[in-house]
Amino acid sequence: MPTTLLELRGVGKVFGGTVALSATSLAIEEGSFVAIVGPSGCGKSTMFNIIAGLVAPDGGDVVLRGATITATTGHVGYMLQKDLLVPWRTVEDNITMATRLTRRVTDEDRAEARRVARQYGLGEFLRHYPSALSGGMRQRVAFMRTLVTHHELLLLDEPFGALDAQTRLEMQEWLLQVWKDTGRTVLFITHDVDESIFLSDRIVVMSPRPGRVVADLANPLARPRGIHTLLEPDFIALKAKVLGLLHGGAA
Amino acid sequence: MRRRVLLNVGVPILSLVLVLVVWQLIVVGFHVASYIAPRPREAITSVTSQWSTLWPLILGTIRETIYGYVIGAALGFVLGVVMAKIAIVQRLVYPVILVSQAVPVIALAPVLVIILGFGIVPKIVIVTWIVFFPVTVNVLDGLGHVDPDLKNLARVYGASRWRTFVQIEVPASTTPLFSGLKIGAIYAVTGAIIGELAASEGNSLALYQEHANSNLNTAAVYGTTMVMTLIGIAWFLLVVGLEIWSTPWQRRTVARRRWRRGSDGGAG
Ligand SMILES: Nc1ncnc2c1ncn2[C@@H]1O[C@H](COP(=O)(O)OP(=O)(O)O)[C@@H](O)[C@H]1O
Ligand SMILES: [Mg+2]
Repeated sequence: MPTTLLELRGVGKVFGGTVALSATSLAIEEGSFVAIVGPSGCGKSTMFNIIAGLVAPDGGDVVLRGATITATTGHVGYMLQKDLLVPWRTVEDNITMATRLTRRVTDEDRAEARRVARQYGLGEFLRHYPSALSGGMRQRVAFMRTLVTHHELLLLDEPFGALDAQTRLEMQEWLLQVWKDTGRTVLFITHDVDESIFLSDRIVVMSPRPGRVVADLANPLARPRGIHTLLEPDFIALKAKVLGLLHGGAA
Repeated sequence: MRRRVLLNVGVPILSLVLVLVVWQLIVVGFHVASYIAPRPREAITSVTSQWSTLWPLILGTIRETIYGYVIGAALGFVLGVVMAKIAIVQRLVYPVILVSQAVPVIALAPVLVIILGFGIVPKIVIVTWIVFFPVTVNVLDGLGHVDPDLKNLARVYGASRWRTFVQIEVPASTTPLFSGLKIGAIYAVTGAIIGELAASEGNSLALYQEHANSNLNTAAVYGTTMVMTLIGIAWFLLVVGLEIWSTPWQRRTVARRRWRRGSDGGAG
Protein backbone atom coordinates (compact mmCIF):
# COMPACT_ATOMS: atom_id res chain seq x y z
CA MET A 1 0.00 0.00 0.00
CA PRO A 2 1.73 3.19 -1.16
CA THR A 3 1.87 6.12 1.22
CA THR A 4 0.32 9.46 0.46
CA LEU A 5 2.90 12.25 0.45
CA LEU A 6 0.72 15.24 -0.35
CA GLU A 7 -2.93 15.83 0.15
CA LEU A 8 -5.02 18.78 -0.95
CA ARG A 9 -8.24 18.94 1.03
CA GLY A 10 -10.67 21.22 -0.68
CA VAL A 11 -8.27 24.08 -1.40
CA GLY A 12 -9.60 26.85 -3.62
CA LYS A 13 -8.82 30.45 -4.39
CA VAL A 14 -10.77 33.45 -5.59
CA PHE A 15 -8.89 36.55 -6.73
CA GLY A 16 -11.14 39.59 -6.52
CA GLY A 17 -14.23 37.85 -7.88
CA THR A 18 -12.35 35.59 -10.31
CA VAL A 19 -12.34 31.97 -9.31
CA ALA A 20 -8.73 31.01 -9.96
CA LEU A 21 -9.14 27.51 -8.55
CA SER A 22 -12.35 25.77 -7.45
CA ALA A 23 -12.14 23.78 -4.23
CA THR A 24 -9.83 20.94 -5.18
CA SER A 25 -8.94 17.71 -3.45
CA LEU A 26 -6.07 15.58 -4.58
CA ALA A 27 -3.79 12.94 -3.09
CA ILE A 28 -0.30 12.36 -4.39
CA GLU A 29 1.56 9.15 -3.70
CA GLU A 30 5.11 9.13 -2.53
CA GLY A 31 7.59 8.64 -5.37
CA SER A 32 5.05 9.16 -8.13
CA PHE A 33 5.24 11.42 -11.15
CA VAL A 34 1.95 13.22 -11.61
CA ALA A 35 1.27 15.47 -14.58
CA ILE A 36 -1.31 18.22 -14.43
CA VAL A 37 -2.73 19.36 -17.73
CA GLY A 38 -5.27 22.04 -18.37
CA PRO A 39 -5.88 25.08 -20.52
CA SER A 40 -4.06 28.27 -19.74
CA GLY A 41 -5.63 30.26 -16.89
CA CYS A 42 -7.37 27.29 -15.28
CA GLY A 43 -5.51 27.67 -12.00
CA LYS A 44 -2.62 25.24 -12.30
CA SER A 45 -0.03 27.73 -11.13
CA THR A 46 -2.38 28.92 -8.43
CA MET A 47 -2.60 25.34 -7.18
CA PHE A 48 1.21 25.19 -7.03
CA ASN A 49 1.41 28.52 -5.29
CA ILE A 50 -1.01 27.23 -2.68
CA ILE A 51 1.03 24.06 -2.18
CA ALA A 52 4.24 26.07 -2.00
CA GLY A 53 2.69 28.40 0.58
CA LEU A 54 2.95 31.53 -1.54
CA VAL A 55 -0.82 31.88 -1.74
CA ALA A 56 -3.14 31.24 1.17
CA PRO A 57 -6.19 29.27 0.00
CA ASP A 58 -9.65 30.66 0.80
CA GLY A 59 -10.43 27.35 2.44
CA GLY A 60 -9.13 23.84 2.82
CA ASP A 61 -5.79 22.47 3.81
CA VAL A 62 -2.50 21.37 2.34
CA VAL A 63 -1.15 18.31 4.10
CA LEU A 64 2.36 17.03 3.55
CA ARG A 65 3.19 13.67 5.08
CA GLY A 66 0.40 14.10 7.59
CA ALA A 67 1.39 17.61 8.69
CA THR A 68 -0.68 20.63 7.76
CA ILE A 69 1.49 23.12 5.89
CA THR A 70 -1.21 25.44 4.58
CA ALA A 71 0.15 28.90 3.77
CA THR A 72 3.63 28.14 5.08
CA THR A 73 6.74 28.05 2.93
CA GLY A 74 9.96 26.08 3.00
CA HIS A 75 8.50 22.60 2.48
CA VAL A 76 8.75 21.91 -1.24
CA GLY A 77 11.02 22.31 -4.23
CA TYR A 78 9.65 24.66 -6.88
CA MET A 79 10.67 25.45 -10.40
CA LEU A 80 9.14 27.58 -13.13
CA GLN A 81 9.43 28.02 -16.88
CA LYS A 82 11.70 30.96 -16.07
CA ASP A 83 14.87 29.42 -14.72
CA LEU A 84 15.37 32.27 -12.22
CA LEU A 85 19.11 31.67 -12.06
CA VAL A 86 20.88 34.68 -10.63
CA PRO A 87 23.38 36.11 -13.14
CA TRP A 88 25.89 37.08 -10.46
CA ARG A 89 26.48 33.52 -9.26
CA THR A 90 28.27 30.68 -10.99
CA VAL A 91 26.46 27.46 -11.85
CA GLU A 92 27.77 25.85 -8.68
CA ASP A 93 26.64 28.77 -6.55
CA ASN A 94 23.27 28.86 -8.27
CA ILE A 95 22.75 25.22 -7.41
CA THR A 96 23.37 25.98 -3.74
CA MET A 97 21.28 29.17 -3.90
CA ALA A 98 18.26 27.77 -2.09
CA THR A 99 20.47 26.73 0.79
CA ARG A 100 22.18 30.11 0.84
CA LEU A 101 18.79 31.72 1.29
CA THR A 102 18.19 29.91 4.55
CA ARG A 103 21.58 29.27 6.10
CA ARG A 104 25.31 29.23 5.55
CA VAL A 105 26.45 27.16 2.61
CA THR A 106 28.87 24.53 3.86
CA ASP A 107 31.64 22.70 2.05
CA GLU A 108 29.39 19.62 2.03
CA ASP A 109 26.68 21.62 0.28
CA ARG A 110 29.17 22.67 -2.35
CA ALA A 111 30.52 19.17 -2.74
CA GLU A 112 27.00 17.86 -3.24
CA ALA A 113 26.25 20.54 -5.80
CA ARG A 114 29.37 19.58 -7.73
CA ARG A 115 28.54 15.91 -7.48
CA VAL A 116 25.01 16.19 -8.87
CA ALA A 117 26.17 18.63 -11.53
CA ARG A 118 28.85 16.22 -12.70
CA GLN A 119 26.50 13.29 -12.56
CA TYR A 120 23.93 15.01 -14.76
CA GLY A 121 26.06 16.59 -17.43
CA LEU A 122 26.92 19.98 -15.97
CA GLY A 123 30.37 19.17 -14.66
CA GLU A 124 32.22 21.32 -17.15
CA PHE A 125 30.08 24.35 -16.40
CA LEU A 126 30.41 24.58 -12.63
CA ARG A 127 32.35 27.83 -12.74
CA HIS A 128 30.43 29.34 -15.63
CA TYR A 129 28.04 32.19 -15.12
CA PRO A 130 24.49 31.40 -16.30
CA SER A 131 24.74 33.90 -19.15
CA ALA A 132 27.14 31.49 -20.86
CA LEU A 133 24.61 28.63 -20.91
CA SER A 134 21.91 27.59 -23.35
CA GLY A 135 18.24 27.51 -22.33
CA GLY A 136 18.29 23.76 -21.80
CA MET A 137 21.44 23.93 -19.69
CA ARG A 138 19.97 26.70 -17.60
CA GLN A 139 16.88 24.62 -16.89
CA ARG A 140 19.11 21.75 -15.82
CA VAL A 141 20.86 24.04 -13.36
CA ALA A 142 17.51 25.30 -12.11
CA PHE A 143 16.40 21.71 -11.59
CA MET A 144 19.62 20.84 -9.76
CA ARG A 145 18.99 23.82 -7.51
CA THR A 146 15.53 22.42 -6.79
CA LEU A 147 16.94 18.95 -6.20
CA VAL A 148 19.57 19.86 -3.60
CA THR A 149 16.94 21.41 -1.35
CA HIS A 150 16.23 17.77 -0.37
CA HIS A 151 12.52 18.31 -0.38
CA GLU A 152 10.63 15.13 -1.22
CA LEU A 153 8.06 16.96 -3.30
CA LEU A 154 9.10 18.87 -6.40
CA LEU A 155 6.67 21.25 -8.07
CA LEU A 156 7.62 21.86 -11.68
CA ASP A 157 5.49 24.48 -13.41
CA GLU A 158 5.92 24.13 -17.19
CA PRO A 159 9.71 23.89 -16.75
CA PHE A 160 10.35 23.07 -20.40
CA GLY A 161 7.70 25.35 -21.84
CA ALA A 162 10.19 27.75 -23.39
CA LEU A 163 12.48 25.17 -24.98
CA ASP A 164 12.48 24.04 -28.60
CA ALA A 165 11.02 20.62 -29.38
CA GLN A 166 14.37 18.84 -29.73
CA THR A 167 15.81 20.20 -26.48
CA ARG A 168 12.53 19.57 -24.74
CA LEU A 169 12.59 15.87 -25.60
CA GLU A 170 16.19 15.62 -24.36
CA MET A 171 15.21 17.37 -21.16
CA GLN A 172 12.25 15.05 -20.64
CA GLU A 173 14.44 11.97 -20.90
CA TRP A 174 17.01 13.62 -18.67
CA LEU A 175 14.36 14.47 -16.08
CA LEU A 176 13.06 10.88 -16.05
CA GLN A 177 16.59 9.65 -15.43
CA VAL A 178 17.10 12.03 -12.49
CA TRP A 179 13.68 11.19 -11.11
CA LYS A 180 14.43 7.48 -11.30
CA ASP A 181 17.79 7.95 -9.56
CA THR A 182 16.56 10.20 -6.77
CA GLY A 183 13.12 8.79 -6.05
CA ARG A 184 11.51 12.15 -5.50
CA THR A 185 7.83 12.87 -5.96
CA VAL A 186 7.12 15.14 -8.89
CA LEU A 187 4.10 17.28 -9.68
CA PHE A 188 4.52 18.53 -13.22
CA ILE A 189 2.36 21.17 -14.87
CA THR A 190 2.25 21.28 -18.63
CA HIS A 191 -0.15 22.20 -21.36
CA ASP A 192 1.63 19.81 -23.71
CA VAL A 193 -0.39 16.60 -23.71
CA ASP A 194 2.45 14.54 -25.23
CA GLU A 195 4.75 15.71 -22.47
CA SER A 196 2.26 14.85 -19.75
CA ILE A 197 1.88 11.31 -21.07
CA PHE A 198 5.54 10.75 -21.78
CA LEU A 199 6.59 11.66 -18.25
CA SER A 200 3.87 10.66 -15.84
CA ASP A 201 2.41 7.78 -13.87
CA ARG A 202 -0.81 9.65 -13.61
CA ILE A 203 -2.47 12.55 -15.37
CA VAL A 204 -4.74 15.04 -13.68
CA VAL A 205 -6.84 16.90 -16.23
CA MET A 206 -8.32 20.28 -15.35
CA SER A 207 -11.23 22.15 -16.87
CA PRO A 208 -11.08 25.69 -18.25
CA ARG A 209 -11.69 28.51 -15.79
CA PRO A 210 -12.94 28.20 -13.13
CA GLY A 211 -10.45 25.36 -12.88
CA ARG A 212 -11.32 22.08 -11.31
CA VAL A 213 -10.17 18.50 -11.73
CA VAL A 214 -12.23 16.79 -14.41
CA ALA A 215 -10.31 13.54 -14.72
CA ASP A 216 -7.61 11.61 -12.96
CA LEU A 217 -6.11 9.04 -15.30
CA ALA A 218 -3.63 6.28 -14.63
CA ASN A 219 -0.85 6.13 -17.20
CA PRO A 220 -0.18 2.49 -18.10
CA LEU A 221 2.87 3.05 -20.31
CA ALA A 222 5.89 0.98 -19.36
CA ARG A 223 9.19 2.47 -18.25
CA PRO A 224 11.87 3.19 -19.24
CA ARG A 225 10.40 5.40 -21.89
CA GLY A 226 12.00 6.71 -25.02
CA ILE A 227 11.11 7.99 -28.42
CA HIS A 228 9.49 4.62 -29.19
CA THR A 229 6.98 5.34 -26.43
CA LEU A 230 5.49 8.14 -28.49
CA LEU A 231 4.39 5.63 -31.11
CA GLU A 232 2.78 2.99 -28.90
CA PRO A 233 -0.95 2.36 -29.22
CA ASP A 234 -1.41 2.99 -25.48
CA PHE A 235 0.21 6.38 -25.92
CA ILE A 236 -2.10 7.28 -28.79
CA ALA A 237 -5.14 6.05 -26.91
CA LEU A 238 -4.30 8.04 -23.81
CA LYS A 239 -3.57 11.11 -25.89
CA ALA A 240 -6.97 10.84 -27.59
CA LYS A 241 -8.62 10.60 -24.20
CA VAL A 242 -6.83 13.60 -22.71
CA LEU A 243 -7.39 15.73 -25.80
CA GLY A 244 -11.06 14.78 -25.70
CA LEU A 245 -11.30 15.86 -22.07
CA LEU A 246 -9.51 19.14 -22.75
CA HIS A 247 -11.63 20.02 -25.72
CA GLY A 248 -15.02 19.24 -24.26
CA GLY A 249 -16.02 16.05 -26.06
CA ALA A 250 -15.62 12.60 -24.48
CA ALA A 251 -13.17 10.31 -26.23
CA MET B 1 41.15 40.98 -24.74
CA ARG B 2 44.03 43.18 -25.87
CA ARG B 3 41.74 44.85 -28.34
CA ARG B 4 39.19 45.56 -25.63
CA VAL B 5 41.75 47.16 -23.33
CA LEU B 6 42.92 49.28 -26.22
CA LEU B 7 39.35 50.30 -26.95
CA ASN B 8 38.44 50.98 -23.32
CA VAL B 9 41.58 52.83 -22.29
CA GLY B 10 43.18 54.01 -25.49
CA VAL B 11 40.17 55.66 -27.07
CA PRO B 12 39.18 57.81 -24.06
CA ILE B 13 42.80 58.99 -23.68
CA LEU B 14 42.91 59.76 -27.37
CA SER B 15 39.72 61.81 -27.15
CA LEU B 16 41.15 63.82 -24.24
CA VAL B 17 44.34 64.47 -26.18
CA LEU B 18 42.14 65.58 -29.04
CA VAL B 19 40.51 68.16 -26.78
CA LEU B 20 43.95 69.59 -25.99
CA VAL B 21 44.82 69.62 -29.67
CA VAL B 22 41.62 71.49 -30.57
CA TRP B 23 42.27 73.92 -27.73
CA GLN B 24 45.78 74.53 -29.03
CA LEU B 25 44.53 74.98 -32.60
CA ILE B 26 41.87 77.49 -31.55
CA VAL B 27 44.21 79.56 -29.43
CA VAL B 28 46.93 79.60 -32.07
CA GLY B 29 44.69 79.72 -35.12
CA PHE B 30 42.52 82.60 -33.93
CA HIS B 31 45.37 84.43 -32.21
CA VAL B 32 43.54 84.38 -28.89
CA ALA B 33 45.23 86.67 -26.39
CA SER B 34 46.92 84.82 -23.56
CA TYR B 35 44.95 86.76 -20.91
CA ILE B 36 41.79 85.28 -22.44
CA ALA B 37 43.02 81.75 -23.04
CA PRO B 38 46.48 80.31 -22.53
CA ARG B 39 47.85 77.48 -24.60
CA PRO B 40 47.41 74.04 -23.01
CA ARG B 41 51.12 73.91 -22.31
CA GLU B 42 51.04 77.17 -20.36
CA ALA B 43 48.07 76.01 -18.35
CA ILE B 44 49.85 72.78 -17.48
CA THR B 45 53.07 74.60 -16.57
CA SER B 46 51.14 76.95 -14.29
CA VAL B 47 50.17 73.86 -12.32
CA THR B 48 53.48 72.02 -12.29
CA SER B 49 55.47 75.12 -11.37
CA GLN B 50 53.24 75.78 -8.35
CA TRP B 51 52.90 72.12 -7.42
CA SER B 52 54.17 72.45 -3.84
CA THR B 53 51.56 75.15 -3.15
CA LEU B 54 48.82 73.34 -5.02
CA TRP B 55 49.30 69.83 -3.70
CA PRO B 56 47.98 70.48 -0.14
CA LEU B 57 45.01 72.33 -1.66
CA ILE B 58 44.33 69.42 -3.99
CA LEU B 59 44.50 67.04 -1.05
CA GLY B 60 42.03 69.27 0.77
CA THR B 61 39.58 69.11 -2.11
CA ILE B 62 40.03 65.35 -2.39
CA ARG B 63 39.40 64.97 1.32
CA GLU B 64 36.15 66.95 1.15
CA THR B 65 35.10 64.97 -1.89
CA ILE B 66 35.81 61.60 -0.31
CA TYR B 67 34.10 62.34 2.99
CA GLY B 68 31.09 63.89 1.34
CA TYR B 69 30.88 61.15 -1.26
CA VAL B 70 31.11 58.25 1.15
CA ILE B 71 28.57 59.80 3.51
CA GLY B 72 26.32 60.76 0.61
CA ALA B 73 26.51 57.33 -1.03
CA ALA B 74 25.80 55.56 2.26
CA LEU B 75 22.97 57.92 3.13
CA GLY B 76 21.60 57.62 -0.39
CA PHE B 77 21.67 53.84 -0.24
CA VAL B 78 20.00 53.64 3.16
CA LEU B 79 17.35 56.17 2.14
CA GLY B 80 16.67 54.25 -1.07
CA VAL B 81 16.30 50.99 0.82
CA VAL B 82 14.07 52.42 3.54
CA MET B 83 11.90 54.16 0.97
CA ALA B 84 11.64 51.01 -1.14
CA LYS B 85 10.68 48.92 1.88
CA ILE B 86 8.33 51.24 3.73
CA ALA B 87 5.69 52.84 1.54
CA ILE B 88 4.75 55.53 4.05
CA VAL B 89 8.35 56.64 4.37
CA GLN B 90 8.55 56.90 0.60
CA ARG B 91 5.44 59.09 0.49
CA LEU B 92 6.73 61.30 3.28
CA VAL B 93 10.35 61.61 2.24
CA TYR B 94 10.21 61.72 -1.54
CA PRO B 95 8.81 65.28 -1.77
CA VAL B 96 11.37 66.50 0.74
CA ILE B 97 14.18 64.95 -1.28
CA LEU B 98 12.90 66.53 -4.46
CA VAL B 99 12.72 69.93 -2.80
CA SER B 100 16.25 69.48 -1.48
CA GLN B 101 17.49 69.04 -5.03
CA ALA B 102 15.53 72.00 -6.35
CA VAL B 103 17.44 74.28 -4.01
CA PRO B 104 20.33 75.78 -6.01
CA VAL B 105 23.39 74.45 -4.23
CA ILE B 106 25.23 77.71 -4.76
CA ALA B 107 22.51 79.49 -2.79
CA LEU B 108 22.63 76.84 -0.13
CA ALA B 109 26.29 77.40 0.65
CA PRO B 110 25.96 80.67 2.59
CA VAL B 111 23.15 79.18 4.63
CA LEU B 112 25.38 76.29 5.58
CA VAL B 113 28.15 78.66 6.54
CA ILE B 114 25.75 80.51 8.82
CA ILE B 115 24.74 77.24 10.46
CA LEU B 116 28.00 75.29 10.38
CA GLY B 117 30.62 77.98 10.15
CA PHE B 118 33.73 77.72 8.00
CA GLY B 119 35.94 74.67 7.85
CA ILE B 120 35.44 71.32 6.22
CA VAL B 121 31.94 70.50 7.51
CA PRO B 122 29.84 72.72 5.19
CA LYS B 123 31.80 71.41 2.18
CA ILE B 124 31.16 67.82 3.18
CA VAL B 125 27.50 68.64 3.63
CA ILE B 126 27.26 70.10 0.14
CA VAL B 127 28.96 67.09 -1.45
CA THR B 128 26.69 64.78 0.51
CA TRP B 129 23.70 66.85 -0.54
CA ILE B 130 24.58 66.41 -4.21
CA VAL B 131 25.69 62.78 -4.08
CA PHE B 132 22.90 61.11 -2.13
CA PHE B 133 20.15 62.01 -4.57
CA PRO B 134 21.13 59.99 -7.68
CA VAL B 135 22.04 57.09 -5.40
CA THR B 136 18.69 57.14 -3.62
CA VAL B 137 16.69 57.43 -6.81
CA ASN B 138 18.56 54.61 -8.51
CA VAL B 139 18.50 52.28 -5.52
CA LEU B 140 14.78 52.90 -5.11
CA ASP B 141 14.25 52.18 -8.78
CA GLY B 142 16.50 49.11 -8.78
CA LEU B 143 14.87 47.53 -5.73
CA GLY B 144 11.47 48.20 -7.24
CA HIS B 145 12.37 46.28 -10.36
CA VAL B 146 13.70 43.06 -8.88
CA ASP B 147 11.89 40.16 -10.56
CA PRO B 148 8.93 39.31 -8.28
CA ASP B 149 9.21 35.66 -9.36
CA LEU B 150 12.72 35.59 -7.99
CA LYS B 151 11.55 37.02 -4.69
CA ASN B 152 8.72 34.48 -4.62
CA LEU B 153 11.19 31.68 -5.24
CA ALA B 154 13.19 32.89 -2.25
CA ARG B 155 10.00 32.83 -0.20
CA VAL B 156 9.19 29.29 -1.31
CA TYR B 157 12.60 28.21 -0.06
CA GLY B 158 11.80 29.76 3.29
CA ALA B 159 14.20 32.70 3.02
CA SER B 160 14.01 35.45 5.62
CA ARG B 161 13.46 39.00 4.43
CA TRP B 162 17.01 39.85 5.39
CA ARG B 163 18.55 37.03 3.37
CA THR B 164 16.33 37.79 0.42
CA PHE B 165 17.52 41.37 0.62
CA VAL B 166 21.20 40.53 0.87
CA GLN B 167 21.29 37.57 -1.50
CA ILE B 168 18.75 38.62 -4.10
CA GLU B 169 17.63 42.23 -3.99
CA VAL B 170 20.94 44.01 -3.50
CA PRO B 171 22.92 42.06 -6.11
CA ALA B 172 20.00 42.36 -8.52
CA SER B 173 20.20 46.14 -8.12
CA THR B 174 23.92 46.59 -8.72
CA THR B 175 23.54 48.12 -12.17
CA PRO B 176 21.23 50.97 -11.11
CA LEU B 177 23.18 51.35 -7.85
CA PHE B 178 26.38 51.98 -9.79
CA SER B 179 24.57 54.33 -12.17
CA GLY B 180 23.73 56.45 -9.15
CA LEU B 181 27.23 56.15 -7.74
CA LYS B 182 28.79 57.20 -11.04
CA ILE B 183 26.54 60.23 -11.47
CA GLY B 184 27.30 61.17 -7.88
CA ALA B 185 31.03 60.74 -8.47
CA ILE B 186 31.12 63.14 -11.37
CA TYR B 187 29.21 65.84 -9.43
CA ALA B 188 30.98 65.36 -6.11
CA VAL B 189 33.98 67.54 -6.94
CA THR B 190 31.69 70.29 -8.20
CA GLY B 191 30.04 70.24 -4.78
CA ALA B 192 33.36 70.43 -3.00
CA ILE B 193 34.46 73.43 -5.10
CA ILE B 194 31.18 75.26 -4.53
CA GLY B 195 31.67 74.66 -0.83
CA GLU B 196 35.21 76.00 -0.99
CA LEU B 197 34.07 79.11 -2.82
CA ALA B 198 31.42 79.93 -0.26
CA ALA B 199 32.95 78.67 2.92
CA SER B 200 36.69 79.07 2.79
CA GLU B 201 38.47 81.47 5.05
CA GLY B 202 41.97 80.18 4.46
CA ASN B 203 43.36 78.02 1.72
CA SER B 204 41.49 76.05 -0.87
CA LEU B 205 41.71 75.14 -4.50
CA ALA B 206 38.72 77.32 -5.35
CA LEU B 207 40.19 80.35 -3.58
CA TYR B 208 43.55 79.73 -5.24
CA GLN B 209 41.77 80.00 -8.56
CA GLU B 210 39.92 83.16 -7.53
CA HIS B 211 43.19 84.62 -6.43
CA ALA B 212 44.83 83.77 -9.77
CA ASN B 213 41.88 85.34 -11.50
CA SER B 214 42.17 88.63 -9.65
CA ASN B 215 45.89 88.61 -10.45
CA LEU B 216 45.05 88.22 -14.15
CA ASN B 217 47.00 84.94 -14.11
CA THR B 218 44.84 83.33 -16.79
CA ALA B 219 47.09 80.34 -17.24
CA ALA B 220 46.68 79.42 -13.56
CA VAL B 221 42.89 79.90 -13.78
CA TYR B 222 42.77 77.39 -16.61
CA GLY B 223 45.30 75.14 -14.95
CA THR B 224 43.34 75.00 -11.71
CA THR B 225 40.18 74.20 -13.64
CA MET B 226 42.01 71.32 -15.27
CA VAL B 227 43.14 70.05 -11.88
CA MET B 228 39.58 70.17 -10.54
CA THR B 229 38.35 68.32 -13.60
CA LEU B 230 41.02 65.68 -13.23
CA ILE B 231 40.03 65.07 -9.61
CA GLY B 232 36.45 64.53 -10.76
CA ILE B 233 37.50 62.17 -13.53
CA ALA B 234 39.82 60.23 -11.24
CA TRP B 235 37.02 59.79 -8.74
CA PHE B 236 34.63 58.67 -11.46
CA LEU B 237 37.16 56.17 -12.79
CA LEU B 238 37.68 54.82 -9.30
CA VAL B 239 33.97 54.11 -9.03
CA VAL B 240 33.95 52.54 -12.49
CA GLY B 241 36.86 50.36 -11.37
CA LEU B 242 34.92 49.35 -8.28
CA GLU B 243 31.98 48.40 -10.46
CA ILE B 244 34.12 46.32 -12.79
CA TRP B 245 35.80 44.61 -9.88
CA SER B 246 32.55 43.82 -8.06
CA THR B 247 30.52 42.64 -11.05
CA PRO B 248 32.71 40.08 -12.84
CA TRP B 249 29.68 38.26 -14.23
CA GLN B 250 28.95 41.15 -16.54
CA ARG B 251 32.13 40.60 -18.51
CA ARG B 252 33.16 37.02 -17.95
CA THR B 253 31.61 33.71 -18.87
CA VAL B 254 33.67 31.75 -16.35
CA ALA B 255 34.46 32.81 -12.80
CA ARG B 256 38.09 33.56 -12.24
CA ARG B 257 38.36 31.84 -8.89
CA ARG B 258 36.21 30.64 -6.03
CA TRP B 259 34.31 33.62 -4.89
CA ARG B 260 33.31 33.52 -1.26
CA ARG B 261 31.97 36.27 0.83
CA GLY B 262 30.38 36.95 4.21
CA SER B 263 27.29 34.85 4.57
CA ASP B 264 28.69 32.34 2.14
CA GLY B 265 30.99 31.04 4.79
CA GLY B 266 34.18 29.17 4.15
CA ALA B 267 37.62 30.64 4.12
CA GLY B 268 39.60 31.75 1.11
N1 LIG C 1 -2.03 36.96 -7.83
C1 LIG C 1 -3.14 36.98 -8.61
N2 LIG C 1 -4.00 38.01 -8.55
C2 LIG C 1 -5.10 38.04 -9.32
N3 LIG C 1 -5.43 37.08 -10.18
C3 LIG C 1 -4.62 36.03 -10.30
C4 LIG C 1 -3.42 35.91 -9.53
N4 LIG C 1 -2.82 34.75 -9.84
C5 LIG C 1 -3.59 34.17 -10.79
N5 LIG C 1 -4.67 34.93 -11.05
C6 LIG C 1 -5.75 34.58 -11.99
O1 LIG C 1 -6.17 33.30 -11.68
C7 LIG C 1 -6.43 32.55 -12.85
C8 LIG C 1 -5.61 31.29 -12.85
O2 LIG C 1 -4.26 31.65 -13.06
P1 LIG C 1 -3.07 30.58 -13.05
O3 LIG C 1 -3.15 29.77 -11.83
O4 LIG C 1 -1.82 31.30 -13.31
O5 LIG C 1 -3.46 29.68 -14.32
P2 LIG C 1 -2.58 28.64 -15.15
O6 LIG C 1 -1.28 28.44 -14.46
O7 LIG C 1 -3.42 27.41 -15.20
O8 LIG C 1 -2.40 29.21 -16.52
C9 LIG C 1 -6.16 33.47 -14.01
O9 LIG C 1 -7.37 34.04 -14.43
C10 LIG C 1 -5.26 34.51 -13.42
O10 LIG C 1 -5.42 35.73 -14.09
MG1 LIG D 1 0.67 28.85 -15.11
